[in-house]
Amino acid sequence: MVSQTTPAAAPAAPRTEPAPTYQPGIDICDRGTEMVFVADIPGAQPDGIDVRFEDGVLSLEATVARRELPGRIVRQEYGVGNYRRSFRLGDGFDASLISADYRKGVLTIRVPRLAAVRPRKVEVRTA
Amino acid sequence: MPTFRAGFPLPFDFAPQLEELRDELDRVWTTLSAPLAARAGEAGFPPVNVRETDDAITVEAELPGLESSDLDISVADDALVLKGSRPEGGPQPAAGDGERKPTVTWHRRERGTGTFERRIPLPVAVDAGRVEAQLVNGVLTVTCPKAPQCQPHKVVVRAG
Repeated sequence: MVSQTTPAAAPAAPRTEPAPTYQPGIDICDRGTEMVFVADIPGAQPDGIDVRFEDGVLSLEATVARRELPGRIVRQEYGVGNYRRSFRLGDGFDASLISADYRKGVLTIRVPRLAAVRPRKVEVRTA
Repeated sequence: MPTFRAGFPLPFDFAPQLEELRDELDRVWTTLSAPLAARAGEAGFPPVNVRETDDAITVEAELPGLESSDLDISVADDALVLKGSRPEGGPQPAAGDGERKPTVTWHRRERGTGTFERRIPLPVAVDAGRVEAQLVNGVLTVTCPKAPQCQPHKVVVRAG
């Protein structure tokens, strides 16, 4: 079971114009041996993405640099900002084998289950 | 961005559930409180931001997961037309063991897939032959140079 959670709110630092934070759209699927998270994080850079697994909670955070384009805004249908989202996975995952891959604006995180808790088919032998 | 924050420490047992509820409320609130233009844009995908300078119109859109080859961009009747498709990728099942069928269980599917077409009216005539587009980390930027007759003509004031 996967449930969404929120990290403890950090004390708000005084900033003149804080960048908005968005929750990325995400697909989550269970492949048996691992959980796979696919998140839309357009406009980020790999070194601006922070993926953590602590106390059974997987969290992803991405800082997106502002795109300062010249000219006046004629139409604005979406905002640009940072991304943050987290999920409670619980135990049974191997934190040391978690991998994250970012390409084409899509972040894919693979969280493998510990070998001991993977689903396993037991052969039934006959005498 | 508006958030629903509890102003007091929550009882330990209920805190996680309340946090999850708050996250969901945040999502709903963000959708409802989006600018009108954005909500109107829900009729058309992708949402775009458009800027105008003296010599060009710039259209930006977020299209994560797409390659240049998934996109078809054209200019027709003073409008920019964005066509494309986001392929149904996604994780494949783990290899089966021969007898048992491999399975994938989806917990959330929030990312859309499929084809889209959107026509974005441009405020002025553009030079269709010089329109350029680039797609970097899922962000599409289309630069449409204005047609010469639509560019401001600077008048030089001579000294007498």
